[in-house]
Amino acid sequence: MTTATAPSIDPARLAIFDSLVSSIAEEMGAALRHTALSPNIKERADFSCAVFDRHGQLLAQAAHIPVHLGAMPESVRAVETLTPWQPGDLAILNDPFLGGTHLPDVTMVSPVFSESDNQPIGYVASRAHQADIGGMAPGSMPVAEELIQEGIVIPPIRLYRQGELVEEVLTLILRNVRTPEERRGDFAAQVAAQRLGERRIAALHDDYGAERYERTTAALLDYGERLTRAALQDLPHGQWQFEDALDDDGHIDEPVPIRLVLTLEDDRAHFDFSGSAPQRAASINAVAPVTRSACYYVIRCLLPPDTPMNGGLFRPIEFTLPQRSVVAAQPPVAVAAGNVETSQRIVDTVWGAFAQILPERMPAASSGTMNNLTAGGVDPRNDRPWAYYETSGGGLGGGPEGPGLDAAHSHMTNTLNTPAEALELAYPLRVVENSVRPDSGGDGQHRGGHGLIRRTEFLGSARVTLITERRSGSPWGAHGGQPGAQGQNSLETTDSDGQRILQPLPGKTIINVDPGDVIRLETPGGGGWGEPGSRSTQRAVD
Amino acid sequence: MTRSGTQHQRRLLGVDVGGTFTDFVYLDAAGTVQIAKRPSTPADPGRAIIDGLSALDWQPNEVVHGSTVATNTLLTRTGAPTALITTTGFRDTLVIGRQARPDLYALHPVRTPPLIPADLRFEVDERIAADGEVVADLDIAALDRVLDAIADSSARTIAICFLFSFINPVHEQIAARRARERGFAVSASHEVLPQHREFERMSTTAANAYLAPVMTSYLDQLEASLAAHSTGVDDVLRLRIMQSNGGSLSAASAGRNAVRTVLSGPAGGVAGAFAAAEEAGFGNAITFDMGGTSADVALCPGRLLERTDLVLDDMPIRTPAVDLHTVGAGGGSIAWFDQGGALRVGPQSAGADPGPAAYGRGDAPTVTDAHAVLGRLRPEQQLAGSVPLDIDRARLAIATIAEPFGNDLNAAASAVIDVVNANMARALRVISVERGYDPARFTLVAFGGAGPLHACDLADALGIPQALIPAAPGVLSAAGMLIADITRDAERGLHITLDPADVGQHGALSAAFGEIADLARTAIAADGYDDGVKLEFAADLRYVGQSHELTVPLAQVDDLAAIREAFHAAHSERFGFATPQTPVEVVTVRAKARARGYQGGLSAVAPAATSAVDHEVPVVWDRERLTRVLDRGAVAHRLDSPAIVTQLDTTTLIPPGWYAEPLPNASLLLRRA
Repeated sequence: MTTATAPSIDPARLAIFDSLVSSIAEEMGAALRHTALSPNIKERADFSCAVFDRHGQLLAQAAHIPVHLGAMPESVRAVETLTPWQPGDLAILNDPFLGGTHLPDVTMVSPVFSESDNQPIGYVASRAHQADIGGMAPGSMPVAEELIQEGIVIPPIRLYRQGELVEEVLTLILRNVRTPEERRGDFAAQVAAQRLGERRIAALHDDYGAERYERTTAALLDYGERLTRAALQDLPHGQWQFEDALDDDGHIDEPVPIRLVLTLEDDRAHFDFSGSAPQRAASINAVAPVTRSACYYVIRCLLPPDTPMNGGLFRPIEFTLPQRSVVAAQPPVAVAAGNVETSQRIVDTVWGAFAQILPERMPAASSGTMNNLTAGGVDPRNDRPWAYYETSGGGLGGGPEGPGLDAAHSHMTNTLNTPAEALELAYPLRVVENSVRPDSGGDGQHRGGHGLIRRTEFLGSARVTLITERRSGSPWGAHGGQPGAQGQNSLETTDSDGQRILQPLPGKTIINVDPGDVIRLETPGGGGWGEPGSRSTQRAVD
Repeated sequence: MTRSGTQHQRRLLGVDVGGTFTDFVYLDAAGTVQIAKRPSTPADPGRAIIDGLSALDWQPNEVVHGSTVATNTLLTRTGAPTALITTTGFRDTLVIGRQARPDLYALHPVRTPPLIPADLRFEVDERIAADGEVVADLDIAALDRVLDAIADSSARTIAICFLFSFINPVHEQIAARRARERGFAVSASHEVLPQHREFERMSTTAANAYLAPVMTSYLDQLEASLAAHSTGVDDVLRLRIMQSNGGSLSAASAGRNAVRTVLSGPAGGVAGAFAAAEEAGFGNAITFDMGGTSADVALCPGRLLERTDLVLDDMPIRTPAVDLHTVGAGGGSIAWFDQGGALRVGPQSAGADPGPAAYGRGDAPTVTDAHAVLGRLRPEQQLAGSVPLDIDRARLAIATIAEPFGNDLNAAASAVIDVVNANMARALRVISVERGYDPARFTLVAFGGAGPLHACDLADALGIPQALIPAAPGVLSAAGMLIADITRDAERGLHITLDPADVGQHGALSAAFGEIADLARTAIAADGYDDGVKLEFAADLRYVGQSHELTVPLAQVDDLAAIREAFHAAHSERFGFATPQTPVEVVTVRAKARARGYQGGLSAVAPAATSAVDHEVPVVWDRERLTRVLDRGAVAHRLDSPAIVTQLDTTTLIPPGWYAEPLPNASLLLRRA
């Protein structure tokens, strides 16, 4: 066992340095968000920014998307193949097996140089979900079998060499996506955020001086480690098991189990996913960094509210991940849904284990899906191609403190919805309904949150991909509470006799829609907490 | 009846009603300024004003009031029962919001429930498309049934928000007319906030509907009381209310536009601080107000910046407000160690009760206690409220966190100050560096009870060359109200791509600017001001494809190419780059009608000497140094460091490396030596 030693620097300096590096990550995020073109980044904030020390250890991360938590350090490790670095170099990647998560998440990593050193003194990284990165379906979240179907795969390569854009790389990427001008703008925004982060880190390093900077970054990471160890030390110790499952893989209609043995011992945690399903010829496979992110997320929820976010936090956490499984996929399988759906189920599995450990503290399962809808086509208003991606929230689990939130994103994502008035200006779509789904939260002393009904009308022909979960499994209740309602997808269309009909759709599907068709998503409710009978008053939707 | 802004018989009162104190700044007909501070009367905030006026024997004919009524009504949920009418399919928009949870890593996230409960949210069939075309007519019969249902409920005030009403308000206009005909108070979204994004517009409209009846009745009563107070005085008394954006408007208008006053009090502080800087000849100011529990900072690059992205208690309030950022750092902020052994300060605060240990009742170590231990807060000068400083008790409190500092109380106290300064420096960085402003070009204006204690440290952290301490830092908000201009804003959402070759678009833009200019001018005239009214224009612009806008002030609105250039320049300043080849889109046009408030300056608000203290005592800076302590009223010449200047409502530190000099307007300028 390694225990971080007492602070090697003054306890006031730790808080001050954390504040400085965190504000650099946040400033990168602000710059990326404000300058990006696509609603996905600007309105929905589907991105993360982070700064690293020269060993690639995470110093701070702007907390936008938990699924990026454990995955950003992998990106920095992945670009090691590109050394030696020159000032002005900037790497780009999205290969899930080499530092990425799923293809739409494009990551940039660049080294930071100081005046005095010819070796990088640190790295900055940014990851943004691009609305389209090519492949077999607009929005690049298809129901696929192989990675290569999901879009262009970018291994770690240089996009900038000594400050000069490598035009051929950009040209190649843009030729392989559906909305190249939007991508160009979003890439430019990401580059601007990287450059800003580089300047700020270099200035901080110069301000501190090399020796003191090194000592302080090490102390910051040790400090993060102490925070987690203290929290783990306070938890009950022992071994617990939990199993949950994905509905299906999109091709074969059978559940895909995820199994966990969680061991808490002393001030350490060990997550063993042995026994989870082998990887599938489908997109529900999660790469190992996504699985680690899901576990880190739950640990982070158990830490005090204002805990800083750095790599030290996760040092006391160990993993056993079965290779070529749905929680540690290897090539050549597809992974798009692993990031958005399997990650949620991994959280549910970990959450379920902790619900046994801390029954009086942990809420029930939340909706457990991001309800991914991607669509694209040619805009009849201007004959230009369009690609749209939206995720929708559901009910959150009820908990000891009260009912779960209605119609909100849970766990691994917190992206904003696109306002109808922004969406309809940008795309040939009309939002017909966006409402709380009545009575979908699981019953309990504290009921689960209700899901959402979102109905989107298509004003032109389009190709639509749905990747949704909890359509045959349910978000479980806790402490005696009832499960939340399963989700439901359907198409409101006109049959050959001109009658409006409601046609049920599978949880994962690709379909073509005609003008006037409406895609109807009813998202799952959260599980209830506590025996239903013990509730004093019925609480209406409000 | 109207009156010009130049009359010399003005007897002006600025009054800021805070949670604890009600501050008065009074300017009589002879131009003499007087200040007063009295306990607030939270149950009936207007009573402190009337009681104060009676006790002080002042007879103002113009009162500018900073009111916390709107904010408190929202935060305590004591507004009028309100109904919502919206487009079919969108009745839950206030619940769903943007579907994000407020805290990413909360085990059990919670959101404040909406102002309007489910049984008072109604839908009516109608639909307008993104281009303004009516896709489905308003179902009048259904509307009338909804109005019947509302008539049977407890609600007498209605928020109406239909999709795309900012492009085409026709359905909202019909619905609002029918509702008003039946005697309901109505806030229609195309009037309250004609801008895109339905949740934000609906939230702002709902808040206005919810607040308007409360605000109207409060102001009616206050106006009546003020009228009764001025019985026998020959001229009519006028009451104005501070808006969130630093301008004031008539009480009558404030009732109907209640949501525009949610930052009324803090706006007075920013306006007062910026005015103090301008008066001293410094156009670029960063205002810094530090009180007991929090610190407010705002950047003023030659003008008051406005923001339109305020969120209060999970509710977006998108009407313009001063661009204020708040951080949980105040004199009462408590120092503690987290489980990793780092020293943290705040956001927990000892507040007013029990308060810092140095004030005799608390035990937790606070920022105030750290200053007391270091000798920087002086027992010679009793603070507001006349609580004697208990240094021994402060030392006991700081001793509880001194162990990691080798039980060196001075080291522990200095660490507390360093950490709270880092928290505030981060907020200052957000509003300056992160937006492309170089702090080296700014003056830090420090006020509030604790601001002047931290001014030089913060200036050092940000590279700000000088700090200004206004003459009366304890009543600066009230002073800001007294000098506030009278402003009325009008805005309108649209979507026009700036193409100088497109005559049709040019015409549409000119028409939109003309329309809102008329609205603003009419509104200010109705408030009683039509002389010397100036119109200012701005537009929310973005590159086509972007979904965040920048509000850019416009010197003129006719030259499309110049408007585009202004946007490129603003984008470049804020984000470090512009893409001149990308088309630029107008999303919202804005007009502001402005009539000037009191122009005489506030130099008369000079602090009188309140004690004869002037001596040297040991104080801990980088090390213990003999430090001159003297009363603010006695600072007549350059004052070298280290020094401590005391006055009734604050203490100013001049640490080693700095000096102070009094300015003609009675403020104190601190500069690096």
